Formats: sequence, C-alpha cells, structure tokens
Amino acid sequence: MEAGGPVIPVPLAAFGLFGEAFNFVFSGTEAQTGGVTVGGPEQVLDLAARQLEVTLFALGVAIFLALPVGLWLGHRQKGEFLAVSAGNAGRAIPELALIALMAAAIGVGMVNLVVALAILGIPPILTNTYVGISQVDRASVEAARGMGMTELAIVRKVELPLAVPTIMGGVRTAAINIIATATIAPLAGILTLGDFIIARNVYGDAGVLAGAVLVAMMALALEASLAGIQWAMTSKGLKLERS
Amino acid sequence: MTAESVSASTVRFESVTKRYSGAESVAVEDLSFEVPAGEICVLVGPSGCGKTTALRMVNRTVEMTSGDILIGGNSVKEGDPARLRREIGYVIQQIGLFPHRTISQNIGTVPNLLGWDKERVAKRSAELLELIGLDPEYGDRYPTQLSGGQQQRVGVARALAVDPPVMLMDEPFGAIDPINRSRLQNEFLRLQAELRKTVLFVTHDVDEAIKMGDKVAVLKKGGQLAQFATPTELLMEPADDFVEDFVGSDRALKRLALMRVRDVNLWTAPLAQAGDPAEPVRTAVAAAEVPHALLVDGENRPQGWLSERDLAGERVPSTPDSLTEPLIEADSILRDGLAALLQSGSLYAAVVDHRGRLTGVLSVEIVSDFLASDKAAESELTAVERPHG
Amino acid sequence: MAELLAAVDDSFFTDRTGGGCIQENKLFCPGWVADNYDRYVDPTLQHLVLVGSAVVAGFLIAFALGVFAHRHRFLQTPFLAGTGILYTIPSISFFFLLLPITGRGALTAIIALTAFNLQIIFRNMTNGLRNVPQNVTEAATGIGMTKSQVLWQVELPLAMPEIIAGLRIATVSTVALATLAVFANGGGLGTEIVSGSNITFKTGIIVAGSIAVIMAIVFDGMLLLAGKLLAPWKRVAQ
Repeated sequence: MEAGGPVIPVPLAAFGLFGEAFNFVFSGTEAQTGGVTVGGPEQVLDLAARQLEVTLFALGVAIFLALPVGLWLGHRQKGEFLAVSAGNAGRAIPELALIALMAAAIGVGMVNLVVALAILGIPPILTNTYVGISQVDRASVEAARGMGMTELAIVRKVELPLAVPTIMGGVRTAAINIIATATIAPLAGILTLGDFIIARNVYGDAGVLAGAVLVAMMALALEASLAGIQWAMTSKGLKLERS
Repeated sequence: MTAESVSASTVRFESVTKRYSGAESVAVEDLSFEVPAGEICVLVGPSGCGKTTALRMVNRTVEMTSGDILIGGNSVKEGDPARLRREIGYVIQQIGLFPHRTISQNIGTVPNLLGWDKERVAKRSAELLELIGLDPEYGDRYPTQLSGGQQQRVGVARALAVDPPVMLMDEPFGAIDPINRSRLQNEFLRLQAELRKTVLFVTHDVDEAIKMGDKVAVLKKGGQLAQFATPTELLMEPADDFVEDFVGSDRALKRLALMRVRDVNLWTAPLAQAGDPAEPVRTAVAAAEVPHALLVDGENRPQGWLSERDLAGERVPSTPDSLTEPLIEADSILRDGLAALLQSGSLYAAVVDHRGRLTGVLSVEIVSDFLASDKAAESELTAVERPHG
Repeated sequence: MAELLAAVDDSFFTDRTGGGCIQENKLFCPGWVADNYDRYVDPTLQHLVLVGSAVVAGFLIAFALGVFAHRHRFLQTPFLAGTGILYTIPSISFFFLLLPITGRGALTAIIALTAFNLQIIFRNMTNGLRNVPQNVTEAATGIGMTKSQVLWQVELPLAMPEIIAGLRIATVSTVALATLAVFANGGGLGTEIVSGSNITFKTGIIVAGSIAVIMAIVFDGMLLLAGKLLAPWKRVAQ
C-alpha cells in the first residue's frame, strides 16, 4: 500500500490474494525459492489425485476392518463398552502426533501413511456400526429368526439395511477425518494437496491459499458423494419413516 | 350443591366450531351445552369425533374458529392464553410429568408460575400429596421412580395445585391397566365429592363415561353433539340410532354402572370374633339371610368366612378355612362388584367401607333382583316412547 | 519447511542426561523429558486457551442457533447444512482460507476450530430438543407455561444431557485438532510436535501428543461429571 494512497479495504485485499491463488492453480507461479515454476494444473491434479488415492485407500482399509467387527458385536449385542470407548478414544488421538510418530518411528511411505489414516477411520465406523445394528428393533430380528432366516441372513437382510443411515454416518465422519489428515501427509513423505499449505516457503501465500481452497473443495465433494451413496443405499421404507 | 361449590364455575359452550386449516370437514361443529358448576361432564365418542379438540378449546391449546366458551360467564378468548391455562387444571393421558423435576416440584409448577412464595408452594405440595394418598417422602422422588398409577395421581395433584375452578381431563386413565383404572376412577370420584370442581372429562370408553359423568355429551364424527344427557337418560333413552349403537346392546348391564354397591340393600351375615363360643354362631347361621358366618376383628374388619368345620369346635378359631376373597368396596360401582363376585366364583362377598370395616354382604341374587326391577322400568319406557324399538 | 526448522536452537540435542538416547532418537527418552518438562508449559497453556475459546465460542453460537431454529423450525435444515459445511472443511484448510482476512495467529486457529465445533453442538442440541417427549411439552403448555418458559424450564433442561454429550465430543475433538494450530502460527502443543526439532524427534512427539490426550481425557471427565451433577433425575434408580 502506498502511503497517502487510498486504503484498500480488507475484502479487496483478500480478493487480490484469491486472484493470485487462482493464477497459482491455473497457470502456476515462480517458486519462492526461485527458478522453477510451481503450481499449475498438472501439479494440482497430481497432488489431488494422490490425496484422493490415499484417502480412499485408508477409508477402504478402515471399513474392511471395522465393519465386520461392528456388525458381529452389534448382532450379538455384546461389547458395547469396547465399541463405544473405541469411538471416544479415537477422537482423542491428535492427528498430527499420530502422523508424525508413525513417520518418525516406523518410517515414511505409503503403507505407513495408510495405516495411520486407517487408525483414525476405524473408531467412528466401529462405533456407529455397533450402535446402528444394536438399535435395530429387536422385534424385526425376532420376526426374521421366527421365519427361519439364518443368523447371517438376518444380518445381511434385516439389520444391515436398517442400520445403513447410522453406519454411513460413521463412514462419513471417518472420511472427513481421513481426508483432513491426508492434508498433512507430506510430513510423512507423501505429497498431497497439503504440500501447498505446509511448504509455504516454496509455494508462497498464493499457494497456501490455493491449497486450502482445493482441500476444502475436495473434502466437501467427498462428503457430498458419500451422502449421495447413503441416500441410494437407504431403503425407501426408512426414508418414508423419516420424512 | 353445597357451600363447597364456591370454587367451581359453570362452563358453557356456545356454538363452538373448529375447522383446522387445510382440512375439508370441520372437527367440531356448532357445539353448544352447559356444564353446571361442580359437575363432571364426560365428552365421549368414537375416535375422530372431535372430543379432544372440544376439550382443548377450553384452555385454548386449540383455538376455536367461531363461537365462544364461557367460564363463569367470562369468555376464554379474552386475555392471555397462558394466564387462562394457569386457572384451569389439565390432566392428559400420557400424564406429561416433568422427568427432571421431583414430585413436589411437579406439583408446585403452577404455584411457582403464579409467583407463590417457597413456603406456600411447599405447604401446598405436601397437602396435595396427602390428598392423593402418597407418602410425604414421595415428594423428593422423580417421576420415573413412581408406578403408572402413582404418576397419574401426581398428574391430578399438579392440576389441582392452585385449586382451579375448572379441570380438563383428557383420557386421564386411558393408559392404566383395568384394575388400577377402576381404583383411580373411584379415588377421583371420592376426591370430586369433596372438591366439587367443574370437570370436563374426555374418554372413548362409554363405560367410563357412564361411571364418571354427572352429564355425558356423546359426539359423533364431524364433531356434532348427538346427545347431552345424564347417564341414566343416555341408557334409558338414547337420542338416535348412533347413540344407541355407541352405548351398546348391553345397556341393561351398563346400568349397573349407575349404582354403587352401597346404594343397594346389602344382606347381613352372622358375625363372630375369634374366641367367641361357637354354639350361638351355629344357631345364627341356620336362621340367617347369608348361610355363612363372617369372622371379624375388634374393629369390624372381615377376616374370613367361617366354614362348618371352623364352627364345629367349642370356640371360634382365629384362622378360618377361607379368606374373605373377594372383598368389595362399598364405593365401587355395582358392575365392578358383580364382576368381582363372578370372577371369584363365590355366591357372597363381604362389602367394606374405605377403612376396611364391614358394611354388608353382596350376593348375585341382589344384583339380579336389581336388574329385574330396572329392566321392567326400562322396557315400559321403550314401549311407550319407541314403538319400533 | 525451513521456517519451522529455524526455531530449533543448537543446544537442543545436547545438555541432557539421557546418555545416547537423544542422539540415537530412541522411541522415548525419560531423561530428556525430566530435563525439559518446562518447555511444555507455555504450549500447554496456549493449547488450553485455543481449546477453551473455541469450545466456549462454539457452544454460545451453536446454542443461539439452536434456540433460534427451535422457534423457527424451517431454519433447522439450512443451519444443519451450513454448520455441516464448516464441519467438513478440514481445519488445516480453514486456517488458510482465513489467511487473507485474519492472517496468521491464534485468532485464526480459534475461528477455524469454532467453525468445526458448531455442527456437533448444534446437532446434539437439536436432537436433544426433538427428543423431549411431546406429552411433557404439551402438559407444560396446557398448565399455563409461556413458550419461553416451556423452553427454558422444560425443554432445555431435558435436552441438557444430549447438549453436554455434544459438548464432550466437540471438546475432545478440538483438543486433538488444536495441535494443527501450529501451521497457522497459532501456538499450542503442535509447536512441540512440528517445530520441536524436526518432526522426527520421537520423544517430543510422544510427550506433546500425550499431553493432548490427557487434556482431552480430563476435559471429558469434567464435562461428564458436570452432566451428572446437572441431571440428578438421570441418576435415580428406575
């Protein structure tokens, strides 16, 4: 700002930085460290793809591990303490410390990162699956048993469909945790969109802001997709009941 | 009415109509009747007849579309609805006690809203607990710690807290099991005999209507008044086919609900106390209306029926062969008395007052005599006024 | 990450009693912790301020939104969607969305953490109010309570256990998330994880992470206790 010149109001200044961020994404800018060009569509897409890949991979592992356990505990109506405390404990884990410790103690790399992220995703899925299944009206389950369904069929055809909204709630919480934490994956040696945010000395404020916007958009898009999947998976009868 | 009726007001419906917005038909149509001060008026009818809507327009939890309701001559439409409601006792089927407040705090809700001081609220809560027959220690408990019947009593006490001239009761005993319902009904009638409130009482159960009502307003679908009459009139002269149908084909039996056990001529049985000589009792039994002797204690409370074997010895034993089951309260209606008698399979039952003291013996014969006399009266009426009935 | 690493002073790896523990960067060096516990005091206090401010602000805003949406039901869905978006945006991204407006610092971190909290508290409050049995509010109205008396004397006290449950979730999550405030120059325990040395100093990570976990447990326990004290009717035997 020039002395004596008109004072630029904050929103306009903000707009200026957003403009730079826009440039950063679509054409790239020179690195703060000089020389090379950073940003640009190619790098953005590359990092975005990596973040999505890491997120979906970790989410898949978390579902694969937590869902069967939650289903089994919920169906047997056992292990409430375990399932619920897992959820509480999961929330208390500082994501930053977890990623940092995994990287420092076990090493950087894709597998370690996915394990760390999956650890964050397991508790909400486990808890919600347990709660969703165990809250299914016991009369429905008894009726199914009375009609001669096997236990596996009861889980598959009665409990699971009725618990879809709750289970998906857990999956969505897990997804948000994982994609948010995948942003700091560069600390564990995997470059995601978070690199724009963390390595400010390379990308500058425009890169930081661009990274923030991209991560936010990506998280919202993931959340919206999962909400859509949940809608598609929920039986019509349940939807009617809720409205 | 006695001098106690000062705390009651008449309630008058004047062409009250309710049309819910968006609904095609009216919920209540042109309803007019008057409940005299101190009486119970039961609104009864099939579901969807607008009885609850009619009740709720009195305290404006539902606003009427047209017409007016006057309490003691004043329109309910004047003034603030919240203030109006504080002056009208309100009891609903699901009771609606506040789970987070103790029983005393629940009962003291309206007094607190009216700004009574703490001491006065506490005193009133204690009074009401006693009135509904709960130990003072219940005052510090929470609603979940009480049985359904106890909760409903507290609901009534809460409604009575500021001694309102009018009480609205919306199926108050609907969620209670039959045995306790009958007990609560009797208790409420006993309370009402003392308090003389003007009560509007909604039920779908015609038996309850006949038992509880001084007046019964029968509503049909669309909220029209089919008949407004005393229970006797309702049973004797149903206004139309709808009412006749609704009241049911067992009208004669239902008339048993109009009488209390204490109102019929009970029989007497020979009495004996433990340790009395047996000989005079044996003689008395041979000559008595009831051919069995009753063992009573010093306060005339029945202890059991004495069998021939009990009386075979020199002295009357203290533990008779059969207990006094069933034991019927003099305040219960005749229908319940008969039901108890039939259920137990015995010919006679001891009748006691609310302190448990013997007032007489009820037999199936007494009931059938009563029915025979009344049935005659009813068929006479039918012959005169309803030639095609 | 030169900026972060610049904070490291040369004496960091020397002057300690742990023998070779630090030099070898073993998983946990108690000797170093004994010598350096005082370096955690400030970050811990900063962390408390971050969490406390974000939870209190989040509670006040969500509570006001909850009361407002209770009066005007049609607002519930938009409020839920709006707070849902704020909840979904990762905090670390939120810090830097605020960068052009509030710059770097604790305030930025507090705003982002508050935004994260709103949804959790609002949703629990809405559920709590919705779960108040209808017969209870009906009776409250029927015996002459005004709308606001019903709200403050009946509905909110009955919804309180669920509101506190939401507050517990929000608080515990915020304690964990506040470690990220370091990226916004907001201080807190994250400074001891990232800039403590480089991020490969295991003992530092473990100590800072443990303090955060303990803080979460303590807050959770306090709120649990407060909830029990405030809801005596929940404690009585059925």
